[in-house]
Amino acid sequence: MAEHSKNTQTLRRLVLTSLLLAIVVIGLGAYTRLTHAGLGCPDWPTCYGLIDVPETSAQISTAEKAFPQRPVEPAKAWNEMIHRYFAGSLGLLIAVIALFSIKLRFSKSSKVRYPIFLPLCILCIVIFQAALGMWTVTLKLMPIVVMGHLLGGFTTLSLLFLLYLRIKGKGINAQGANLVNGQLKKYSNYALLGITILTTQIALGGWTSSNYAAMSCVELPICQGDWLSNLSFEQSFDLIPPAKESYEFGYLAHNERVTIHVTHRLGAIITGVFLAWLAIMVFLKARTHSIKNAAIVLMTLLVIQISLGVSNIWFSLPLKVAVAHNLVAACLMLSLITLAYKLRKNSEESLYE
Amino acid sequence: MSKAMNKTIAPMPSTINAGHHHFSISHIFSNWRAYYDITKPKVVALLVLTALVGMSLSVPGGLPWQLLLPAMLGIALLSSAAAAINHIVDEKIDTVMGRTHNRPLPEGRISVTNAIIFATSIALLGFIILYALVNPLTALLTLGGLVGYSFVYTMYLKRATPQNITIGGLAGAIPPLLGWTAMTNEVAPNALLLVLIIFTWTPPHFWALAIHRKNDYAKVNIPMLPVTHGVSFTKTQILLYTVLLFVVCLLPYLVGMSNWLYLLGACSLNLIFIGYAWQLKFHAKEETAMATFKFSIVHLMLLFIILLFDHYWLPMG
Repeated sequence: MAEHSKNTQTLRRLVLTSLLLAIVVIGLGAYTRLTHAGLGCPDWPTCYGLIDVPETSAQISTAEKAFPQRPVEPAKAWNEMIHRYFAGSLGLLIAVIALFSIKLRFSKSSKVRYPIFLPLCILCIVIFQAALGMWTVTLKLMPIVVMGHLLGGFTTLSLLFLLYLRIKGKGINAQGANLVNGQLKKYSNYALLGITILTTQIALGGWTSSNYAAMSCVELPICQGDWLSNLSFEQSFDLIPPAKESYEFGYLAHNERVTIHVTHRLGAIITGVFLAWLAIMVFLKARTHSIKNAAIVLMTLLVIQISLGVSNIWFSLPLKVAVAHNLVAACLMLSLITLAYKLRKNSEESLYE
Repeated sequence: MSKAMNKTIAPMPSTINAGHHHFSISHIFSNWRAYYDITKPKVVALLVLTALVGMSLSVPGGLPWQLLLPAMLGIALLSSAAAAINHIVDEKIDTVMGRTHNRPLPEGRISVTNAIIFATSIALLGFIILYALVNPLTALLTLGGLVGYSFVYTMYLKRATPQNITIGGLAGAIPPLLGWTAMTNEVAPNALLLVLIIFTWTPPHFWALAIHRKNDYAKVNIPMLPVTHGVSFTKTQILLYTVLLFVVCLLPYLVGMSNWLYLLGACSLNLIFIGYAWQLKFHAKEETAMATFKFSIVHLMLLFIILLFDHYWLPMG
């Protein structure tokens, strides 16, 4: 028993560490994108052929000879390389978690049935993330790759969080009754719908950022001027762009960027209204503090996130606010996952019970 | 003291019941979730899937929608009614059991009378649809399944013998036959083979859940096998039944009803099922019983989906 709880504790600490690291990596990723440092290193996985950044004048002249199309900017190169090293550490940590989960699952002494599918799934995603990270560089910031890299990062974080919730819940309440009363049951499905809506909105945000459309609308609430007649959906959401030398600073025309930006704003209205409704309804119907608290956290993060979005426009995309808008989106997703997890139903159903 | 308590408690039931005394369409609409829940929608979906496979395998090529739609609808309605009757009959024990006390009936979201009216109506509707639009044989067999499940199993067998689900399992195993007769209007041996698969699958499927809920069943005096003969014996039975199921699942290939794709799928699924049963018997962890139960559902669902794919991709001459 002592050994089992020690194993659970070790696993829980590993997952918690990787969770915090994943948030840092997501923040660094947003910072890299927003400081235009995505192509700070024109090669992958090395940076101008080095394992760190060229800084001495000798190194810089060798680097520029090897990559004449991209002059060295050490500050940007550092942003990119720091993101890569943190992401690499996260990948290794996740590999350790996966191996440890396999060991625990097949150990005869462990009394608990540890999750194994989820850690392996996270490992696969993080490996694919590495590939997407490579393609952001080799395909010169193609929007679909950049957005995919963002969503891959969010997926890694969300699944790590789910793993954390599941490990934390082990042993507790395994035999107990369902905490969710009949009235709350239906909100379980609405929470899942909320996750879908929020995922779409995050993808739209990633699309706005990777197409450099964040400053295409500078007025509140929707856009400046006669934006409605400027909308053109034809090429704005084409997933595969025409071949270009580089996609840095975007390749779409102004009205297409306006379309993307407006879609993200309208998405924000839908997401905001739905999540606010969900949080309020769950808060009113819940009978346990744990669920009420989850609803309060969701509501708080939602208010913060919308304020950050408005600030992005009001103050013309300050770096700190833009990075925070990305990080709070991640936290919003985690709080929604918490709520959905707490509302989940015991779905076992049999004809013969 | 008791008088005071009576006073405070007395108004409660009347307020709860006030909304439920009359059965009306508007009550169903405002309370649809509760009515939906008592039909065991997930189980019904699985039953309808097995019926659909029965229909597909009964004839080569496509199915006429004029038969397909009413047959599926009728079978779904009668199965839902059967599940609702099960909820009505078990209302008292559900109130006591930890896992089921928040079902619609014990929680008072719908009254017993309304549930009975609801179950009777959809059963009648389903029977009429089958009788008029499909054929009388299917209608009668489906009704037989309902009677076998709701009355013979739930009211009698469940409370009478630890072999309750072994015998009662026949009622839940019948949908492939219903699908088959809906198309051909006769009881074919191959249809009985599909019934046999579900019949053999039922004991290991349900006993895994019964182990998980052993204390609940003991509390309400339901003689499920783990309660009467112990968990260890039940686990041995589960393991033996999964081996038997492996053999039974080979039959559709051996009699030439299905092709190598089915053989491959059935072997893999049954080996995994045996793996779960083995782990449950010899290296059980906290949630192995529940995991086995959940896998059993995936097992049956995939097995029938593979039957379907096999039938249309690799048709047997």
